[in-house]
Amino acid sequence: MTPTEGFLRHGSDTYIANFAETEREVLVNLVQQIIEILAERHDHANEDPLAAMVGITTHDSPPDDEVLLRLLPNAYQDGVDAAEFRRYTESTLRDKKRAHAMSMRMLLLSATDGDVALDFENAQAWLGGLNDVRLALGVRLKVDQNSHEDLELLAPDDPMRAVYAVYTWLGWLQETLVEALMDEASS
Amino acid sequence: MGKLKPQPTVSEETAAEISAIFSSDRPWVVVVWDDPINLMTYVTYVFMTVFGFSKEKATELMLQVHNEGKSIVAKGAREEMERYVQRLHEYGLWATLAREDQI
Repeated sequence: MTPTEGFLRHGSDTYIANFAETEREVLVNLVQQIIEILAERHDHANEDPLAAMVGITTHDSPPDDEVLLRLLPNAYQDGVDAAEFRRYTESTLRDKKRAHAMSMRMLLLSATDGDVALDFENAQAWLGGLNDVRLALGVRLKVDQNSHEDLELLAPDDPMRAVYAVYTWLGWLQETLVEALMDEASS
Repeated sequence: MGKLKPQPTVSEETAAEISAIFSSDRPWVVVVWDDPINLMTYVTYVFMTVFGFSKEKATELMLQVHNEGKSIVAKGAREEMERYVQRLHEYGLWATLAREDQI
């Protein structure tokens, strides 16, 4: 199977990409990891079912893990305000990100012929979901400290080299979807 | 005539600041910070989608984030700004809110 050419717009509300089997496997694997890392943050203590029902979590401190912190960032620079906001909103944000990843996973698994067709709503889920994967990989690659030149020069046997290749591929894939959506937005 | 009450000396400026602290319509702002992961076209698209900005306006703000490290992308009531920050976090942008004069 040929490598994907990315997303293209078809008609007014459909965005289609065809993925090779290996590409599909890589994507499913990556979104699965996002689902798992978000689940790690799940409330351990559902002590107060009423609070849980209205979306109040027991978390008010930021995650220790760097990836989770990037996925669920502070909304305020001030620690007290950030904690308060997190307590009332983090579970909603987490659910949303989980839903994005689940939507990607479901569409990828059902695309046995490799064709993934998105409507506008699914396209938004994919944009967010692809971005979460890029954020997670970007944090692990330390792209804030390493320049693209550094990362291009990773040794062939460095496992991070493969991670960087996937990271740039995901960026390219996301960009094809953004461009397909922008077409519509500007017309 | 009773005794004079002690009068604290409050300057007009201090008085204005005190009333501002209790004023609910004092503007809050949404700040988007530069980060090395999010792609420029993606950030532009998110600004267009979340705020309804034109492509030109969204591009201008994205470039400000990229070149100056941050940009104020919205201003208004606190609750509304909180909703914007939440939506930007859903898209994975690095956004915070603050009082306008504390930026």
